Amino acid sequence: MRLMLAILLCKALRVVGKLLGKGSSLPGQMALKLCPDALGRVSLPRHIVAVTGSNGKTSTVEMIAAILEADGRKVLYNKEGSNQIEGVATLILSQCTLGGKVRGDVLLLESDERYARYTFHWFHPTHFVITNLYRDQLSRNGHPQWVYDAICPAIHPDTHLILNADDPLVSCFAQGHPQTQVTWFGLEQCSVSTLQHRGMYHDGLRCPQCGGAMEYTCYHYAHIGHYRCTSCGHHRRTPDVAGTALDLSAGVLTIDGSTDIPLAFRSIYNVYNILAAWTVCQLCGVDKAVMGGVIGNYILKNGRMVTFTLGGHRGTLLTSKHENSVAYDTNLAYIQAQQEPCEVMVLVDSISRKYFTGETSWLWDIDFDRLASPHIRRVWLCGKYCNDLALRLAFTGVDREKVVVEQDIRRSAQRLKEEGSLPLYVVTCFSDRDKLLELT
Amino acid sequence: MELTLLHLYPDAMSLYGEYANLSVLRRVLELMGVEVTVRSVGLDDTPDFSDAGLIYMGAGTERSQKWALEALRPHVQPLKEAVERGVPLLFTGNAMELLGSAITDQSGRVWPGLALAAFETREGERRTVEDVVAHTPLWQDPVVGFMNKCSATQGVTTPLFAQLSLGTGNCPGEQGEGYVEGNVIATHLAGPVLVKNPAFLNWLVGRMAAFQGWTLPEPLPQLPYQHQAYDVTVKELTARAGGHHGERSSV
Repeated sequence: MRLMLAILLCKALRVVGKLLGKGSSLPGQMALKLCPDALGRVSLPRHIVAVTGSNGKTSTVEMIAAILEADGRKVLYNKEGSNQIEGVATLILSQCTLGGKVRGDVLLLESDERYARYTFHWFHPTHFVITNLYRDQLSRNGHPQWVYDAICPAIHPDTHLILNADDPLVSCFAQGHPQTQVTWFGLEQCSVSTLQHRGMYHDGLRCPQCGGAMEYTCYHYAHIGHYRCTSCGHHRRTPDVAGTALDLSAGVLTIDGSTDIPLAFRSIYNVYNILAAWTVCQLCGVDKAVMGGVIGNYILKNGRMVTFTLGGHRGTLLTSKHENSVAYDTNLAYIQAQQEPCEVMVLVDSISRKYFTGETSWLWDIDFDRLASPHIRRVWLCGKYCNDLALRLAFTGVDREKVVVEQDIRRSAQRLKEEGSLPLYVVTCFSDRDKLLELT
Repeated sequence: MELTLLHLYPDAMSLYGEYANLSVLRRVLELMGVEVTVRSVGLDDTPDFSDAGLIYMGAGTERSQKWALEALRPHVQPLKEAVERGVPLLFTGNAMELLGSAITDQSGRVWPGLALAAFETREGERRTVEDVVAHTPLWQDPVVGFMNKCSATQGVTTPLFAQLSLGTGNCPGEQGEGYVEGNVIATHLAGPVLVKNPAFLNWLVGRMAAFQGWTLPEPLPQLPYQHQAYDVTVKELTARAGGHHGERSSV
């Protein structure tokens, strides 16, 4: 009876919430107050797929949903990204019959890496995809190893793990898990691989298992690559689903030596997101032809790259994430790889839109030397933390003469409108990008 | 004038941007005309303290801290001799905990410390991740920074920072943070704390120069934008400490 009331309450609050344009956590939160074990009592679909990790959760979930829907499955997923237990409860209970049966073939969840253990207390995923773990929002998350430890209790022995073989920390999740219940995805040595590590820090120097020295035969980005511990032997597994060739400039990924996938978005992240989505969908029984067709025509919806004009400048906004040096490095590498003369703006005004912090350590983890390139003619440093950026850039090869430090975003935009016509690349976070876009 | 900065275990103790503490030190010393060498010591290396003008270790994870502890243990005698000679030592983040008598980890295992100080540390399941504003009688400007730890340190009688107007001290309910005794200097503040605090940087340069027997130039060289960056952060964090509370997530 309590379950039915909780379901009714959730559905009602969801309708009201949608009318008021409110977030999707509250209905689930209230329903769980009424019936705390509601998620353990409903009858869930056969496939429960969860995705977690530092980067790529939302994109991977969207891709999995598109593939499964193209295969004719009814997929329930948290489109609004409310990825903690309350949001998950809203999703499940609002899609239930009053008898507690969830309507759908697949329940697909983006799961916050630190809260997965609470979400999966009452039920557990049949398939759990873990994309990667690296330095992301450390002012909330602590550090990647802490996040690893937080995810561990969320893993049920019956759950099938889909793991990134190229991430030495993620691959530790296979330790002690039944090996028949682990499927690996990864990228073989290919055109993007390098023999040397590039970046301001190297989180793969020591083995996450034993602290021994690690050896890499190649890197794909950051500490993602082919590794082996010289002490305990912890090593990259041979992937069950492998990217066997990759041509980022032509935009083609070859999977398992046989299927060529055109890339709608030519980034190494997208490659890993595709490999993750491919692997889990294959395990759910989707045919290769269906998967290839969907991914080939897939347009990334999250709008990380936006174009605009500012006076004579054709602008491209590369949305990064503050407190995430890997995301910054990728965008800086993209700008570095451009051939034509350009200007660059780095904008750090509010470090987070969700919480307050004045923490700027992460700026020192970003490889700003990538901006020391002759085709980059000017570098604008803007927002409240422009001085921290300027101090940081004083420790790179970027020519001082090229750097403009301007705290006021409005004044920067005005100056750009009045001066010059080179293409402009803006690197900033979701939390800050509208402060510039509204001035264009 | 020549000086070597000894960076202990950056391969394990680099939570974020710790290397930058040595970058700014090096830059200021170079502006004073000093020829600076930064020597990194990896976990598998034997540290040589004989020519060190500063011994530095930054923050790590709970696991990597134990690796660093065990790597340094066989070399504790030469380390103590260097400290007795007066070589300044700065350990930031959870590297501070190595200096004490013991660290008890989450599982209850007790790791004997290097015993350069009498305090001891206990790790817990809750993590303290927060901005800090600290005050010290050693210099005038308040210190700003960030703490990222899951431990409480008890038994410090000579904290580096006497009082905090934002953040948590060595252990909950205690005002003091960090540790200073002679030339042994430690704080739980993680990351590039010398980058964020020009006064802390200058104070340390003063201590290092005194050990070398050098006379400091007046005024000390300034790094461009460092003071402006500090002013913005101190204003933001002080407003925060003054009661402008918003939502902050906890771990």
